[in-house]
Amino acid sequence: MSVIDHWIQNFPAAQKEAIATALHSASLGKIRRAARSLGEMDPKLRGRALKVEILCTYNIEPILPVLSFALSCLPAQPDLQLGPLDNIEAHIAQSAGRPEKLPDARVIIWRVEEILPESLFPFSHGFPEAIVGRLEQTIQRVERVVSLHQRHMPEVPLFVSTIPTPLHFSSPVFSAQHSGGLSAAVGRINQKIFEVATRGDGVYAFDVAGWAAAQGSSQADPMLDFLARQPFSARGQVAFGLFLARNLRPLIVPRRKVLAIDLDETLWGGVVGEDGIENLRLGHDFPGNVHLRIQREVLELRNRGILLVLLSKNNEADARQAFESLPDMLLKWDDFAVRKVDWNHKHNNLVAAAAELGLGLDSFVVIDDSDYEREQIRQLTPEVLILNRSSDPLQILRALWETDVFDALMLTIEDRQRHQDYAVRAARDFQGDHDDLAEFLKSLEIEATIEEIGSSNVERVVTMLGKTNQFNLTTRRHSRTQVQAMLQTPGAIALALRLRDRFGDQGIVAALLALPSDGATLTIDSFLVSCRALGRGVEDALWAAMIDRAKHQNVQRLEADYIATAKNGIVSELYQRLGLSCVAEEGISKRYALEPMPTFDPPPWIFINATT
Amino acid sequence: MQKNDPLQQLLAEFFDLPPDTDPSEITQDRLPSWDSLAMVQLIAELQRTFSVDFDLEEIQYLRSYSEIRAALSRKAVSLPDNPLLPS
Repeated sequence: MSVIDHWIQNFPAAQKEAIATALHSASLGKIRRAARSLGEMDPKLRGRALKVEILCTYNIEPILPVLSFALSCLPAQPDLQLGPLDNIEAHIAQSAGRPEKLPDARVIIWRVEEILPESLFPFSHGFPEAIVGRLEQTIQRVERVVSLHQRHMPEVPLFVSTIPTPLHFSSPVFSAQHSGGLSAAVGRINQKIFEVATRGDGVYAFDVAGWAAAQGSSQADPMLDFLARQPFSARGQVAFGLFLARNLRPLIVPRRKVLAIDLDETLWGGVVGEDGIENLRLGHDFPGNVHLRIQREVLELRNRGILLVLLSKNNEADARQAFESLPDMLLKWDDFAVRKVDWNHKHNNLVAAAAELGLGLDSFVVIDDSDYEREQIRQLTPEVLILNRSSDPLQILRALWETDVFDALMLTIEDRQRHQDYAVRAARDFQGDHDDLAEFLKSLEIEATIEEIGSSNVERVVTMLGKTNQFNLTTRRHSRTQVQAMLQTPGAIALALRLRDRFGDQGIVAALLALPSDGATLTIDSFLVSCRALGRGVEDALWAAMIDRAKHQNVQRLEADYIATAKNGIVSELYQRLGLSCVAEEGISKRYALEPMPTFDPPPWIFINATT
Repeated sequence: MQKNDPLQQLLAEFFDLPPDTDPSEITQDRLPSWDSLAMVQLIAELQRTFSVDFDLEEIQYLRSYSEIRAALSRKAVSLPDNPLLPS
């Protein structure tokens, strides 16, 4: 797994594997092998041609195969043209004759060792006056190189590298004490490069200084620098290649425009429908500060022009109330161009949001803490890019920090105001493709074990009764003593459902308690499913097990209540769907009945284990 | 053939040679692709793989499997015996 998985998502498995191995090991031999395997690929999958001219003040020639490999992953078919060593202005001036085909980009890579070597030894070069004079000349040189390029090849994007602070020079402490010292000199040259990039005009800063600072000394090899004037270690070459590719990528791949993000356990810690607003974790203390930082990053993306979609399985009223009443809530309800806060499948909501925004699903990026939701989206809407790979909030934050999917070389005013153009439109009902969904659920390898409630699991069932709010038909908060009494009632049916799937053992996620009213009638007292297990059909599996037992006990008639609360709208239609009829209604309470007892099959995608 | 000689495997992969190439065949003289550019990359690769830094005088004696093997052994990198090597 690497941050460039989405670059190569259409490559065949063999090439993906070779690339992953090469990047993981940073082995130059494995890079060569992966590059050879790319050569064997169908050219149609290899991406467009990308001609890049590199002008460098040091000897980058040995690492060209690594750079070429990195650009191939974009994907692209790179053609790297290396100008003569440390001869930038002369080469640009000579290109006036015009090559037959202009490059797609020109990249200038330079460093202080060649463009201002005196600053490494300032006292040998007239510190401070003479050195400051040389620094001014170097800053003017940046301007001169850029205007030379613009005179000769104005239509070719120019990437100008910033200058890393050398890893090795004497007296770094003293050097920092004077505006003519090495540290300040590097800073001033880079400041000029950033100013040139600010003007736009097709000139971009290639921030090698920032990259080198983040990489640290492991990217460098001083011996190779002396030996061949090639400064990178093997690991450094690979990282440098990927960084170059990332910088050029916006030239050929449009950025993703939409971030669809989950709410519970993502924008805040906790589940609003279950834990209550007062127990959500968001704020300046750990771990709420991680969620707050996620919100800051997301808000920054919105202000940069990325459209936000709220993608949450919740009662909309609960979510909205949390937005309005959580004191540290940074994102506002209206920051989202589209809000899909309901109980529909998320992949259907993504399709609907794309239609409402008039954008393709290939513009969408998703963050969701749930393994289940991410897998469903991955399988059923494969064009959508899933940003995080783990439910951990810090991993979600890291994914936001590291991703390149929102990279752009420049932002227009229109980009920054894009969210204003997308007025909220009415939500639409979307009929999902049920065949695809059943196929997905089958792939989860869901296994349900129906257990009688007893000493081994009553603790968990009592906990669930106490805190489940959403999928809970009666919301009766029975104590352990009350449950024990029910279990001892002759004819009672008390079942729990334990769930296992591809993601692991989910434990007990559903429970049902039913008591006989008389010999032939059974009344459902409680029926609930944990919010972690919604959408998989486990309620049907539990219902089927209950029907089966009831028939064995010669039950003739079932009765069941739905007691509405602020939280349990998700199950308001459940008994109708299960075939019961409403026989009485009183205030917030509805009584349903079923007679005679039907047969009821569990969902075909759930494997039911023998009852324990 | 010694299967798990990491140096032999590294050189075979690096120069795209058959995996069972006799180590004594792996010399700069015999391999046209082992030019000065490849040499720079090979040194980077060896230093990464075996976590060593070569001394300056060692750099000019890395022209074959056996020279590299000798340099690595001076760096206390232990490699398994390779029966194909002349003793």
